[in-house]
Amino acid sequence: MPFERPKELLKPVKRRFIFLTFVIAVLVELIPLPAGSTRWLPDLIGLLLLYWVINQPRRVNIGSAFLLGLVADAATAGLFGQHALAYSITSYLALRQQRQLVMFNLGQQALAVLALMLANQAIMVVARMITGAAFVGWSYFLPPLVGALLWPLLTKLLLLPYRQHSV
Amino acid sequence: MDFANNPSFIRQGPHPAVRLALCVLLSIALLIGDSRYGLMEHVREALSVALYPVQRAVNVPFAGARHVIDFFTAQAELKAENDALKSQRLQMSAQLARLATVEREYRELRQLNELKSSRAEGGQLAEVLYTGRDPFSYKLIIDKGADAQISPGQPVIDSQGLIGQVTRVQPLTAEVTLIIDKNHMVPVMIERTGARAILYGYGGGVEVRYLPNHADVQEKDLLVTSGIDDLYPAGLPVARVGKIERNTGAAFARLSTSVVAGVQESRFVLVLNPKQHVPAAPPPPPDAAPPRRTE
Repeated sequence: MPFERPKELLKPVKRRFIFLTFVIAVLVELIPLPAGSTRWLPDLIGLLLLYWVINQPRRVNIGSAFLLGLVADAATAGLFGQHALAYSITSYLALRQQRQLVMFNLGQQALAVLALMLANQAIMVVARMITGAAFVGWSYFLPPLVGALLWPLLTKLLLLPYRQHSV
Repeated sequence: MDFANNPSFIRQGPHPAVRLALCVLLSIALLIGDSRYGLMEHVREALSVALYPVQRAVNVPFAGARHVIDFFTAQAELKAENDALKSQRLQMSAQLARLATVEREYRELRQLNELKSSRAEGGQLAEVLYTGRDPFSYKLIIDKGADAQISPGQPVIDSQGLIGQVTRVQPLTAEVTLIIDKNHMVPVMIERTGARAILYGYGGGVEVRYLPNHADVQEKDLLVTSGIDDLYPAGLPVARVGKIERNTGAAFARLSTSVVAGVQESRFVLVLNPKQHVPAAPPPPPDAAPPRRTE
């Protein structure tokens, strides 16, 4: 297994920065977008959560995933607890494999993230269907794909402020 | 296992599985509470209130951008809308005009129908096809001709009064000479006094000639057909006296008159049947009582 990622030394991540990224993700979620775009736009909060769970498991863990899920529920006006449940479970799954995931290169990570996000959507679908909603169609599983494709970009972007040598 | 002197990177709090179980339980409790009992309505309300300023703040730049875009597209859009409305208005006014015409025709027809039933001699309704092409003569072409037993000499009226006389009959159409045609004369009398006169058309109007200066005539007197010519039935309104000029130097009074009927306006006219010169047929003898059948 190529041992690529921790090639460079990074500055320690500040708690403030993590919080700020989550705030931005929630804000993005609140942006009014054209009606059809929610069909393919990835769940940015979930992606970010996975990123921090994988890269900063000591700072961001299941409890924060749960809280963030509640905020996402409020922001998306979904059923209360649906995001919380999904985020808790996926972040637990990510946390269990965290030590492997950190070693993966970006492509492998993206695949893992795809699986995790698909699980995320599946949990939410099941939660909604159990509480009496109809199945929304397979296009509901498109956002994780887009999210996985965006994963490398997200990683690069979030690493940017923590490069040892400032640009 | 948790020692007080463990370094901080070892001390991680409860095991992830425990946390997960806790969170999952909580989530499920929330889900059930929300979907079954609506317990979370208030929480969500509070949260949405808290999120509202954030939402507004996020929306501001987008709303602003939309506003700017609107501002620039408004001109073109308004122009297009204006054009569409204009063309619509044109269509509407055309329709309205047609409606007005149809209404007028309908009124005319009704009046003529009443007239027809009130007149003893009866008549035939005819539609004006077109007016004569000759600008010097005032003629109408109507859509009834020899096929409808129209014959020259029949008076033609509209709902207001006399408009002319059938002068030529074709198989399917007939030509009506209007009373305002030059050289067209109508024997009239002043309705109020019964004084007789002759109304001459002069090409575009009518006038009474040769009325003595001392004749008893006033403004707004109605001139009706006198019926002494065996052509026009008596009492059809023809013209109304306008101004009277009595010039002592002249032998006759000058009357300006205006035609009562819509000579050049009516769309439908009534061709009156000619007067019957033959005496009315005697009434049929009363039927003999049918023979009684005896059984």
